[in-house]
Amino acid sequence: MIASTCDALRAAVIDPLERPGGGLTRPDVAAHLRNCPDCRDWLEAFRKGTAAWETEPSGALADRVMAATTGLDDLLRELPALAEMDPGPGFAERVLLATSQSPAPDGWHTRLAAAWWALVRRPRFAWEVAYVAIVCWVLIFGNPVRAWEWGASTVTAAARERLSGPVSELGADVESWRQRWMPGEAQAGSAPPGPRVENPVVQAWQAGARQIERARASVVRIMEAAWTGVSGWIRRVVDVIFPPRTEPDAEAARSAQ
Amino acid sequence: MDPIDLPTIVDRCRAGDGPAWEAFVRHFQGRVFALAYSYVGDREDARDLAQEIFLRLYETRAQWLAGDEFLPWLFRVARNRSVDYLRRKKVRTPAATAGEEEMERLVDTAPTAETRVLESDRRGLLHAALRGLSAINREIVVLRDVHGLSVQQVASILAIPLGTVKSRASRARIELAERVLALSRGRSET
Repeated sequence: MIASTCDALRAAVIDPLERPGGGLTRPDVAAHLRNCPDCRDWLEAFRKGTAAWETEPSGALADRVMAATTGLDDLLRELPALAEMDPGPGFAERVLLATSQSPAPDGWHTRLAAAWWALVRRPRFAWEVAYVAIVCWVLIFGNPVRAWEWGASTVTAAARERLSGPVSELGADVESWRQRWMPGEAQAGSAPPGPRVENPVVQAWQAGARQIERARASVVRIMEAAWTGVSGWIRRVVDVIFPPRTEPDAEAARSAQ
Repeated sequence: MDPIDLPTIVDRCRAGDGPAWEAFVRHFQGRVFALAYSYVGDREDARDLAQEIFLRLYETRAQWLAGDEFLPWLFRVARNRSVDYLRRKKVRTPAATAGEEEMERLVDTAPTAETRVLESDRRGLLHAALRGLSAINREIVVLRDVHGLSVQQVASILAIPLGTVKSRASRARIELAERVLALSRGRSET
């Protein structure tokens, strides 16, 4: 009995993690330490020899052993009860609502669909579609404004023609005003008339229109070539699947004979 | 906690089954909330944190580990989320893993009014004693003795050596027992 008590106490002191308490109560430990000089010496040696516990003040180790060996069993039985706590009413519903509002992407197709819908639901998506559609239209079918005989060059020519009178009158008025109020500056600023320069905006527009026209012609040429190839291939396939009938002609020839 | 067929629930959740996800949430809400509470020590914060943990689990449900690895993985996710939550509360830059010293700085151990009321019962006393432990010791006790994980799993979750967990667990239990005794004595005297 004495030996088993010594073993239990020492095991509990050495490894309270695996053998908490060792089945001893606090009075048992105290009584045993009073009556067992071997255990007292062993505990003293353990205290001195254990580097981690060397800094304990005198008597603190015994107190700690008491605390560990007497209350630990009950404590370890109580702790698992803390593994669950009631989060309060409506918590699960709150979580489920939050997760239902943000569906998680599972596979690449789900992620793709989610990205697509995120793209489509943006307010400016309609503008982007309209822009891309117009660019595609112009590239493939040409400038629709020019096709309606109402291109930018037409507009600028018509505007120049219609506004030439008022603009020249306005220019004469401004020139007379400058000569009247700023004669020196008017003389310095009056450069000799040079060759007429086309409006750079109009030049850029016309250059762009020429580029677009060339691109359109290229696309149309490619598409026509592709369609010719595809239609020829389809015709050949149809001929193979449904060969042209020659029997009626043969019968007609025989009947003619 | 009602018994459920966890592997089946996990498999169905991974496949995107809505009712299985609801069953999972209802089954684990108490456990996740308790773990969150052990980190933040405040019921409102713990509710927010537990919801964040569930959202994170939901977002990554296609990558859930199966079998025996699921629960330790769940605790690792919850722990990382909790550390991140504490960092954000302290307005800190998130990092991959929190060290022991950092956890000491992150955890706010000041009891709120609500927690003071809760501590009037035995559970509250245990929570109060747990809060008195150092952050790493508390994590070890919570994972090992409260949630019943093995020493190896605790070492893996906390990313510390196995021997450290063993020695820490031993000292943490003694420290906890001391604190419980001290708190009990203090209450019986008052």
